[in-house]
Amino acid sequence: MNKKVLALAGSLLAATALTGTAAQADVKIGLLGGITGPIAAMAPAMLLSAELAISEVNGQGGIGNGEKLVQVTGDSACNPQNGTDAATKAVNIDGVVGLVGPHCSGAVIAAANSVAIPAGIALITPSGTSPEITNLKDNDLVFRTVPSDDYQGRALARSLKEQGMDSVAVAYLNNDYGSGLANAFKSEFEAIGGKITTFAAHEGEKASYRSNLAELAKGGSDTLVIFDYGDGSGLTMLREALENGFFTNYVGADGMKSDAPIKELGANNLGTFLASAPVGEKSDSLDVFAKNFKDIGGDPDAVFVTTSYDATFLMALAIEKAGGDKSKVGAALRELSSATDGEAVMPGEWAKAKALIAEGKPFVYKGAAGTYNFDAAGDVPGVYALFKVGANGFEKVADMK
Amino acid sequence: MELALGLANYALFMGVFIGIYAILALGLNIQWGYSGLFNAGIAGFFAVGAYTSAILTSPHAAGRIGGFELPTLVGWVGAMAVAGLVAWPIGKVCLRFRSDYLAIASIGIAEIIRLVIKSEDVLTNGAKGINNIPRPFGDLPYVQSQIAYLAIVIVVLAVVYVAVERQYNAPWGRMMRAVRDNEVAATAMGKDIAFRRLQAFIFGAALMGLGGALFAHFSRSITPEAIDPMVATFLVWIMLILGGSGNNRGAILGAAVVWIIWSVSEIATDRLPHEYAVQAKYIRVFLIGLMLQLVLRYRPEGLLPEPLGGARNAPAATAKATPRNGH
Repeated sequence: MNKKVLALAGSLLAATALTGTAAQADVKIGLLGGITGPIAAMAPAMLLSAELAISEVNGQGGIGNGEKLVQVTGDSACNPQNGTDAATKAVNIDGVVGLVGPHCSGAVIAAANSVAIPAGIALITPSGTSPEITNLKDNDLVFRTVPSDDYQGRALARSLKEQGMDSVAVAYLNNDYGSGLANAFKSEFEAIGGKITTFAAHEGEKASYRSNLAELAKGGSDTLVIFDYGDGSGLTMLREALENGFFTNYVGADGMKSDAPIKELGANNLGTFLASAPVGEKSDSLDVFAKNFKDIGGDPDAVFVTTSYDATFLMALAIEKAGGDKSKVGAALRELSSATDGEAVMPGEWAKAKALIAEGKPFVYKGAAGTYNFDAAGDVPGVYALFKVGANGFEKVADMK
Repeated sequence: MELALGLANYALFMGVFIGIYAILALGLNIQWGYSGLFNAGIAGFFAVGAYTSAILTSPHAAGRIGGFELPTLVGWVGAMAVAGLVAWPIGKVCLRFRSDYLAIASIGIAEIIRLVIKSEDVLTNGAKGINNIPRPFGDLPYVQSQIAYLAIVIVVLAVVYVAVERQYNAPWGRMMRAVRDNEVAATAMGKDIAFRRLQAFIFGAALMGLGGALFAHFSRSITPEAIDPMVATFLVWIMLILGGSGNNRGAILGAAVVWIIWSVSEIATDRLPHEYAVQAKYIRVFLIGLMLQLVLRYRPEGLLPEPLGGARNAPAATAKATPRNGH
């Protein structure tokens, strides 16, 4: 009984809180981020880049007849409990027309399943990389601006085979990032005739990985593929492997393409180290974004800020196209991304895009992290390249297909 | 109109979460409230239950066992059974420890369970988690589906509450409190302390497993990220302590109060200028901690204290409550 009374009291409290909200003409967009919790260090920069997109929209005419785009920030805390809670509030209490986020895959899956899909609200995540997001039965409402780890893992497998590496050992960090990449890599590499001698997960933040490395080296391969972060346990692992000469060649994915290994280990020691990473398509979009983002005090090299900006900008475009009708935002997103010809719209060019939408002309959004052609599952294929360490940091070796 | 519907949706959602947390708190009440076992590994049993039910009921997916597609009810019973089974060897070993030591051991156990779940791809799909778990009446529209699930949760909670509450006045409950309050005396009465403690530990763990299963089906997915000690262990502890350990109604009330504060405080902090949006999110973490401090300082027995002497529902109730000593 108490429970019902309290639930009622809670909703009343919510209702009183609501009276303070802005004018009804505003269009609301939900930004769900892992503000507290394990990715607390990354979330503020991602939210800042999303806010950049929103302020550009509002500075250049807003939505529709000059209505303001207003953000509703929710804390998904990187777990499904808070993710669904934040999404429920954004959708039901604030009445957002679209969701950008949550940031972590588990929260994305739960929030999509129990809020966004039943409520018919479109959702774009800028950083949920788990391949499981592809498997959602989402009525074409769930999208992401970051490629699934699946793509990169498979592309890396093909590139290594091309580079003549037929037998490798694989070590991966045991989280959705590491295991997603590693499993995609494994299935592709074995399918094209490569051999994986050892395949082992490791936990992050251990003081030493010598025993893991010794186990990995037993397989007899001279190449180690590490799916980990270059400023965390991946660095420790790489250092110990180099010190003890467990392997001769080392390969990493985008997490390992960080400046930390070069600073800590020295470029001359990393002659046999390769890393794959997504590359922005050859365009000025990234430069435009970087300049604008620096102007408001952001760091354009921070993780996922480009995808977060693009997700928000795309959402705003879709809302404009749908005329602010939340039931049409998903379809508008789909339509936007399938345009392949027409004028190019770059980051910050909201007024131009708005005019094009008003005229009903097709256009291509060239985002900070590339263009977006969502596939049937709402995923985007990434563009990747293989890098080696040269005198001036990472240098591109080859494009990956 | 739309706002009213939205508020209703939010209230329903909150009701489901409160119900799930209330079941977890009741499970903890058997362990801590009745028997004085400091289990800080709730997240572990929550996870075992969630994954068991997920594996039993979800459709086939490549790369892991599953595809049994059993009815949801079987999943829930299975969740309780497996959580209880997992608790048995753990209790056998760990219950030799007292208070703080048991807490340390149980935190470790929960962490082991989390790592096993993250690592055993074949069993749990590893870090990616299990998706597309069926939700009863999940095909209905948004509101109806939430109403239906809330009804189910309320029924389950009612059954659990009645079962646990009956034990309070039953010989078993009296015996457990005797074991808790004076172990030597209980031993002298010929009670098998170790066995009784193990019983309480297993019953509590089974309820935690049930709570996990209810959560997994509501979210239609379960990922290792859900086994976060903050939201799956410590929040439950705060609920029980605030509500009143040893009192089942207190456990349910505590679940409601804490979850409402946890969830609604975010709406309040959202009214701050958005420059503070990021900082404001930490306020609720602070609020929960502050609340626990205040309760422990001014009302250590909780909002609804444990009725002493089995007073509840007994005609000759001696309502004179004397403050209970800490455990």
